[in-house]
Amino acid sequence: MDRISGYSQVSEIIPFDYSQPFLLFPVRHHSPVCSWQLIRAIKEYQPDVILIEGPENANDMIGVLTDERTKLPAAFYYYYKDRKKFISDEAEDYKCYYPFIYTSPEYNALKTAAAMGIEARFIDLPYSEILITTAENKGLRSNKDKHSYTDDSRLIYSKFCKKLCEKTDLRTFEEFWEKYFEIEGLRLSVQDFVQQMYTYCIISRNDETEDDLAADGTLARENHMALRIKEALKDNKKVLAVTGGFHSLGLYELLKSDNIQKEKLHKLSQKDEGCFPVAYSYEAADALSGYASGIQRPYFYDCVMNKLIHCDDPAGVYSDTVLDLLIGTVRACDKHDIPVSMADASAAQSMMSGLAALRGCHECGLYELEDAITSSFIKGEKTISSALPIDIMHKLATGDKTGHIGDINHVSPLIADFEEQCKRFRLKIKTVTPNKTEVSLFTTANGMELSRFFHRMVFLGTDFAQRTKGPDLHRRKDRSRVREEWVYKKVPATDVALIDHTADGFTIEEACRTCASRTLRHEKHCDVAAHILVDCFQMGLELSDDDKACAENILNSDGDFFSVGRGLRHFITLMELQQLYNTEFSAAENCAKRCMTRIITALPDMASVKDDHIAECAAIMYAMQKAVTDGFREYRQDYENALLSLCGKSDKDPFVYGTALGILYAFDPHRRKLAEQAMSSYLKGDRNVQIQGAEFLHGLFNAARDIIMTDDSFIRMTDTLICGLDYDDFIEILPSMKLAFSCFTPYEIQQTATAVAKLYDADSAELLVEKPINERLYSFGGEIDKEIVKLLSEEEKP
Amino acid sequence: MTNEYIKPPVEIRYKNELDALKSVDIGKKPENWVLSPKAVRTFILGGIIKTADGKMQIKRKFYGNDALVERCIITLAGNRGLMLVGEPGTAKTMLSELLSAACCGISTNTVQGTAGTTEDMIKYSWNYAMLLSKGPCREALVSAPLLIGMEQGIFARFEEITRTPAEIQDSLISVMSDQILNIPELENEGLVFAKQGFNIIGTANTRDKGVNEMSGALKRRFNFETVEPVRDVRLEKEIIIREAQDLAKTGHIDQPIDTDAAELLAVTYHELREGVTSEGTKLEKPNAVMSTAEAVSVFYQTMSSAYYYGDGKTDLKELTQNLLGAVCKENKDDLEKLKSYFRIAVKEKSASEGGIWTEYLDTAKYLK
Repeated sequence: MDRISGYSQVSEIIPFDYSQPFLLFPVRHHSPVCSWQLIRAIKEYQPDVILIEGPENANDMIGVLTDERTKLPAAFYYYYKDRKKFISDEAEDYKCYYPFIYTSPEYNALKTAAAMGIEARFIDLPYSEILITTAENKGLRSNKDKHSYTDDSRLIYSKFCKKLCEKTDLRTFEEFWEKYFEIEGLRLSVQDFVQQMYTYCIISRNDETEDDLAADGTLARENHMALRIKEALKDNKKVLAVTGGFHSLGLYELLKSDNIQKEKLHKLSQKDEGCFPVAYSYEAADALSGYASGIQRPYFYDCVMNKLIHCDDPAGVYSDTVLDLLIGTVRACDKHDIPVSMADASAAQSMMSGLAALRGCHECGLYELEDAITSSFIKGEKTISSALPIDIMHKLATGDKTGHIGDINHVSPLIADFEEQCKRFRLKIKTVTPNKTEVSLFTTANGMELSRFFHRMVFLGTDFAQRTKGPDLHRRKDRSRVREEWVYKKVPATDVALIDHTADGFTIEEACRTCASRTLRHEKHCDVAAHILVDCFQMGLELSDDDKACAENILNSDGDFFSVGRGLRHFITLMELQQLYNTEFSAAENCAKRCMTRIITALPDMASVKDDHIAECAAIMYAMQKAVTDGFREYRQDYENALLSLCGKSDKDPFVYGTALGILYAFDPHRRKLAEQAMSSYLKGDRNVQIQGAEFLHGLFNAARDIIMTDDSFIRMTDTLICGLDYDDFIEILPSMKLAFSCFTPYEIQQTATAVAKLYDADSAELLVEKPINERLYSFGGEIDKEIVKLLSEEEKP
Repeated sequence: MTNEYIKPPVEIRYKNELDALKSVDIGKKPENWVLSPKAVRTFILGGIIKTADGKMQIKRKFYGNDALVERCIITLAGNRGLMLVGEPGTAKTMLSELLSAACCGISTNTVQGTAGTTEDMIKYSWNYAMLLSKGPCREALVSAPLLIGMEQGIFARFEEITRTPAEIQDSLISVMSDQILNIPELENEGLVFAKQGFNIIGTANTRDKGVNEMSGALKRRFNFETVEPVRDVRLEKEIIIREAQDLAKTGHIDQPIDTDAAELLAVTYHELREGVTSEGTKLEKPNAVMSTAEAVSVFYQTMSSAYYYGDGKTDLKELTQNLLGAVCKENKDDLEKLKSYFRIAVKEKSASEGGIWTEYLDTAKYLK
């Protein structure tokens, strides 16, 4: 408070006087009232130049934004590749958006300047310089998925804001802002409004220390902006600077004291830094979408702005817009089969007006509407399902439209590549309904290329295409299919996702490669790494040497048997399909070998694996068996030794034990004795041990079906097992027994039946097929039954 | 006068505040209202007013959701009834009393809904002696809260509406639609038109919603407001202290409030209700109602016990035993959940904060 306590009026701290050569106009990003007052100020002040807060490397793009054909929401997309390691040794890529909607004061300043023939330009540091001057985890380098240049969090989340909300009995800062700035601000003169903004912004900034301001790059940015303003003042008589209100005091003090530092910007190549305009969506522009980029419910405020621009008197604009939204909500509720009557709508309208009067607002706002819907539309307890009308209203107020960039010479390189590829493959991307296409994988080169393109789009998370049929290599299903069926449609999210990946490369292939490499770099689990490699295989991307080394490192460091085992199964699949897909994928073989080495040593410890991992353990054992049989013969001896070692463990799971003995028998039929001994020891055990025999047979028969065919010893032992159990125990083992015999072919079942029949001197056909009942005999039985009932009922009569 | 009753009605308990607000109220009032909507808001949510005698602090009486109170006031000024729903112990009845007292000057025009509530208890009945001697006439008519409300232009409060049979609830529909009550026995004089200011405030708790679900037709005639439990521990502590002070005053218990014990209880109730400790450990929620009203009751019992049987200091052993009685009412599992709360949450707090939490942990042995 020290800086402001000595003044009675805020105008004493920062003057706002049209007679001065320099005016500083404070704004909140995406605020309609700021835009409306700013347009008035520009018309009244008639500046020679308008300087706007925004990275100055976007100055060439201003024309694209103000182009009549451009429809908002749109954004400037900035990216920076830190190859020269100015930011950190990690040499990471950075990106951020500078979104514009029709309520954005910056957009309205540019548009008004263009209409009045006034020069307008951005004056902030280039994006790269902002990053370089920002400390780690601060500002645009904070730990978020998505960054916005128009981050207003400091205006919104200050201690001052909390106190304001408490003092005014308002629930949130947004409600406070709407009531006291958006609605009441329309009744003020430009000067009074600006003074009110200054008051608010100066007190908000008062919470910040110099260290905080330096850490997030604010001081460096303000110094640069002050330099640009000073330069403009040399050449122009009237200069208007439009900046976020948070910077007002800092800028004014710098200019007043003339304590502006000289600066030296870094030299960067055009490849490392860039900016281009992109279409944006209202959903992404909403401050609730994950980062504080201005205002909430942007479409609602855009509607307010539209009315403000086209009317002479702002009175009633909010009430009208809120009423439109109420009617829209009623209609949308009707579409969702939510019963809302006109009486409810009328009650909501009365509630809004009543609340506005009670709260001392001149007009209803979004929060009065929300309260009115809560009160009038929700019948019963407010729960997630009953509060649907509120969700509908929120959705309508947020908006779902996507903007459009009028000048097609400035589209994102990835979008350009996407459109080119769609043209090449003759994909329809201007339709509103989904399109279906069938891709032959192996008959033409074009088919494989198209499949790879679709897989790449899926990998980038574009929501563009979805495979409905075809080989699923991740789950190892339908591998024999030679065609894929894809359903595709270009949706707003496609552009957004492609833009998001711009920093990853200028072509879709390059972006996929970068993404895959990055994911591999951050991955620690072998199965996930293998999953990425399957993706790369499907996308037709061969791994670089670095990626291969990275994958091998993951395999070496992953100590989870199952993760490595799952990886092995993926790698074996890839090895098998290389030839069919006509793809060189040498990484698969190396990785599979490394997996084998890792899990062979760990295999004996799987003897007493937990119940929920038994099936997977067996699947991995089969995969290892397949690997040593088909290709990796050098591992066979080690594998057999590991299986023998597993069999020698004392506390073994019967299913895993059976599987191990089955595989050993498959390698060498002389080991049949081992399996027989094991089964007979189960039979000699107590009741619990005998029951385990069923699981043992399940594992054994799954791994070596033919063991039952060579002689009748296993049939006899199975018979002994079943006959030795009482009814309840038999019911307990029945599922395992059924599964044990489910792997046999019909011929093998016939053979088994013959052997069992021989055991009991019976006919095998009798065991497999029950004799049909004679139809005449059946009907005769029915008649006898009826007669008995008749006789009995006659006897009962008195 | 307030000391004569166990629980004086709101209009008597807060007479000074209501009079003061009335004297300075210059806001527009709906017909027949005692105070303007703004003054009603101030009465319920508190504030400072300037009277002829200087500034006067109006106490906040309802905590939690200010917007809900504002919506209630506007609903009552319109043509729809107000239905307050929520878990037991969330101050629905108190809010309805406050609204009635502030808007109409009277909070006692009430029907208490039960399974045995009949239409007579809601609308009107007859003085049978007079009915026999004079026949059906106005003198023989005994007005029930709905008729009283319609004739006097005041609110009729209908407590626990979902406990009454559905056909009885539906008898409100015609009155709420047409604002007319027909008494056929009085023939030409039998039409009673509701005076300006009449409205209905209903309450229903969500745990009983399955007992007698309201018909869609009746629901359409009400605006619903869901009163949520207090989610802020600090606020819950304040409520416990304030309510316990009031109860102590009424019960002539001259004893200072132990704020540390109040905080302890507020934290216990809050964490058990939310199913998570302030440290983020997940807990099993008891089936019992963990309302602030219950917490106040537990705290007041502990205070009374200390006043009459002890040395006036809050005994945590008593507090724990009273808590046990409040939580373990219907379900045996709740005892295990309470024990588990002590084992996990109280132990954790005892290790990190010590002091009163360690004493509290020692009382876990009484949970049986």
